[in-house]
Amino acid sequence: MKQKFDAYRAKAFTIRWSIRILLLIYTLIVLYPLFWNIMSSFKSTEEILHSLTAFPQGFALDNYVRAFVQANMGEYLFNSIFVVTSSLVMLLIFTIPCAYAMARYQFFGSKVVELLFAMCLFIQTVYIYIPLYSLLHRLNMLDNLFALAFVYAAISIPFSAFLLAGYMRGISPSFEEAAKIDGCGNWKTLFKVVVPMSKPGIITVALLNGMGFWNEYILALVTLRSPENRTLPIGVANLFEVQRRATDFGALYAALMIVLVPTLIMYFIGQSYLTKGIAMGGEKG
Amino acid sequence: MRLKRKSKVNAMPKGFVALCVLPALALVLVFLIYPTATAVVMSFTNAASLAAGGVDFIFLDNYIRMFTNDPHFIVALRNTLQILAVVPAVTIFMALVFAFGLTQSKLKEKSVYRVLFFLPSILSLVVVAVVFSALFHPRSTGPINMLIGWFGIDAIPWLGDPTFAIWALTIVMVWQAVGYYMVLLIAAIDGISKEIYEAADIDGASAIAKFFRITAPLLMDQIGITYVLALSGTMSISFILGRVMTNFGPGTATLVLPGHMYNMAFGPAASFGYAMAIMVFTLGMALVFAFVSRKLTVRKERL
Repeated sequence: MKQKFDAYRAKAFTIRWSIRILLLIYTLIVLYPLFWNIMSSFKSTEEILHSLTAFPQGFALDNYVRAFVQANMGEYLFNSIFVVTSSLVMLLIFTIPCAYAMARYQFFGSKVVELLFAMCLFIQTVYIYIPLYSLLHRLNMLDNLFALAFVYAAISIPFSAFLLAGYMRGISPSFEEAAKIDGCGNWKTLFKVVVPMSKPGIITVALLNGMGFWNEYILALVTLRSPENRTLPIGVANLFEVQRRATDFGALYAALMIVLVPTLIMYFIGQSYLTKGIAMGGEKG
Repeated sequence: MRLKRKSKVNAMPKGFVALCVLPALALVLVFLIYPTATAVVMSFTNAASLAAGGVDFIFLDNYIRMFTNDPHFIVALRNTLQILAVVPAVTIFMALVFAFGLTQSKLKEKSVYRVLFFLPSILSLVVVAVVFSALFHPRSTGPINMLIGWFGIDAIPWLGDPTFAIWALTIVMVWQAVGYYMVLLIAAIDGISKEIYEAADIDGASAIAKFFRITAPLLMDQIGITYVLALSGTMSISFILGRVMTNFGPGTATLVLPGHMYNMAFGPAASFGYAMAIMVFTLGMALVFAFVSRKLTVRKERL
């Protein structure tokens, strides 16, 4: 009996460790490119040209200075911050009331609105960037950071409204009813009762979209023309193209870090909101 | 009297609901539905660039041109089909294995793996593309060539080689997406009752048997949804990686449909009408794949 138990324990031990080793190997595969980028951003260009895998000899912080000043990453960083914050504000202004109405009322055409938004989940930027480009051209909104932010907000409404409406359905309506009996109007109830109670859902929506806007490449690529309007991803992609000839690799890898660091910070602060939001959104399809 | 007051509290505040929904709905109509509709209409015209007059309906000519008079389209279609055949399948299989390993094993550090594996999916794809361009350095001193060198494989020229370039992009796409789909699948596995696994344990089922007999079949529905998400995700990722890492080359080796569409719209011989026809074809193809995969997975679940 004891022998059988020992054999079982040994087997469980083997299984546990083989799973663990598999996961550890994949952890290395996931982290190495990031680690490599951090390392390379502190190497001088000569060091990088000499060896792609060696550790840095010191901290070549002037890479960062050149990235910020000569490669204009400071300017692009400012543009990106402006686009992300203004698009998030607009997105929340439009999405919160819409999600609330979808969650609480069976209004005229509510099924149609839901179906329409569900269809929109299929329409990715990669399919419609050319008609969007000509629409923005006609509205005289090309090469304009605020217009880009507005479009980001608009095309993110369906996904965000679904996610937030799903969250709001989970909140008991009794609090709103109590507020209304106390004489709160609809808007006051929405902003004083519903919004504070939906905070986790709103944070999830803001984080998921904020990361998406920060990293967005395709629309920024086709709509932003003048160099001073570039967002970080466009600036970095452009620097990479130029770098193929000019070879200031140190500044290039430092510039990549400038794009990455804010997302990494946001991720490690808000990762539980993010993964929960993914799970919620994914179940909706 | 009481009834009346109650119905007043629950009555639909029509003006309020309209103000809530209509602005959002209007934006969706203008910036999502309208562009899609224009794309379909434009695909039947010979619009050159920004629709500056002189647009004629040429009906199916753009679609006929794709298959009869545009070798680059055929190449882009073949590359896209290859990527769509490999990337979602490999990604979902790996995501499923990791999700199963993380939910079934009682590893103390499992939430650490979840957080780290998810990380690539939040990174800027441009940054990922630039970093992997260096990791795939063609010389034997390139990081990935050094890695395969340890296993006795000769250095591969990766991005500079017409055969290997598309496989390099494929590897990056899988690396980028596995964690995202793993998190989706973990949520679905958590929804499967623990008792089923406990019953299997009592019957002495091995981990592999549990994976193929319980987890995979019960997850069929979620795998189908994940596959649909992976399809549309792969389209835009292949465009960004292709444009930044290889500029859709060498030659046309990594040209994908969204890339060909971009070249047709913004290249020297700008033709928005033709680009839109490619877009409508691509979206239609993705919708057909999505529809078929949903049909297949739902039926398997019933069996």
